[in-house]
Amino acid sequence: METIIYNVACNIFSVSADEKFLRLLTNYEPFVVKGTAGMSAESVGEKPAFALEVVSEGAAPEYAEETRQQDEGQEIVCGHTAAGDSVFDFFLGKSRSGVLVCSDGYRRGKLYLSGYADKFAIDNSLMVMYALATAGSGTALFHSAIVSQDGRGYMFLGKSGTGKSTHARLWLRHIEGAELVNDDNPVVRLQPDGAWVYGSPWSGKTPCYRNVAVPLGGIVLLSQAPYNRITRLSGVQAYAALVPSISGKRWDRAVADGLHATENALAMGVKVWHLECLPDEEAARLCFETVKGENK
Amino acid sequence: MKIKKGFVLREVCGEQVIMGEGLGALDFGKLLCLNETAAWLWNRAVDAGEFSVDGLAEALCGEYDVSAEQARTDVAAIVAEWQKVGVVE
Repeated sequence: METIIYNVACNIFSVSADEKFLRLLTNYEPFVVKGTAGMSAESVGEKPAFALEVVSEGAAPEYAEETRQQDEGQEIVCGHTAAGDSVFDFFLGKSRSGVLVCSDGYRRGKLYLSGYADKFAIDNSLMVMYALATAGSGTALFHSAIVSQDGRGYMFLGKSGTGKSTHARLWLRHIEGAELVNDDNPVVRLQPDGAWVYGSPWSGKTPCYRNVAVPLGGIVLLSQAPYNRITRLSGVQAYAALVPSISGKRWDRAVADGLHATENALAMGVKVWHLECLPDEEAARLCFETVKGENK
Repeated sequence: MKIKKGFVLREVCGEQVIMGEGLGALDFGKLLCLNETAAWLWNRAVDAGEFSVDGLAEALCGEYDVSAEQARTDVAAIVAEWQKVGVVE
């Protein structure tokens, strides 16, 4: 078994696994902490947020189901063991891919691979642990497409199928200097100088794994409409726009408290908009000119 | 009656807001803004566990300068709203 240490949005974590599994993690390569080969996460200096161990032998413990979440042919069954450890059972289609067992406030995780869709189980385990282990430290893993332009990041939120990726692509095509930072799962962190948004090793169907950081310039909630119109959201409305786009396990009070603190700070400190739009150039220009105008 | 498990009162951008966070409340999918009186009553209801309109109205009279009749009318309206959105049982 070997260990690789990663840094995503200034949160350190480690993955320990057989080399044949580590070889699958090409999307994590831009996030490897240089000069840490062969080191344990604890010896890197900075305190690791969490450590995941991946095994392909041994049986996962029995657990009691709490709830399940389904999305686009994937399912996560959440539960807990008799000893109180948190369990996440990952299914792709109808087949089990792996079972993640977390202890110590999600700082320690062990993933039991089933032999089916190993990469899927590893990616999901790391996203779950990342979201939960960092919830108390001003970090939020978003479901969002994020574009940078002139040194600032602009995030697009919306339900699956709303057109986040499509709108990001319209910016890339029609807005000078626009670049894709991440297409599906960027990380936002509260820093002393404001909110920053970071690329991550997770980006949905688009391979865009960039280790970059930009100050967050604005957040835009998208919805489909037969016209283009943008309105500013503030206070509770802004908060309500953010919450459904942030990964979490809100029935764990400590996680919910941490995410709430981050969401509340973002709702008060970052400009949030609602764009009702068509999938066209005019929507991208209206959005860009409005949010960019606020940052001058 | 009592407040359903999984609903919490949080301060959001300076306002008092009810949200569904616990198992069984995850599908609530909305935020319910409370005024100062309603938030105060919510906290009394949480503390009491089992509560009634009359009990809350009495508590309200003890805290605020309001007639018993007015307190009962106000509490009944607030609790009716909670029943309508389904945060009490």
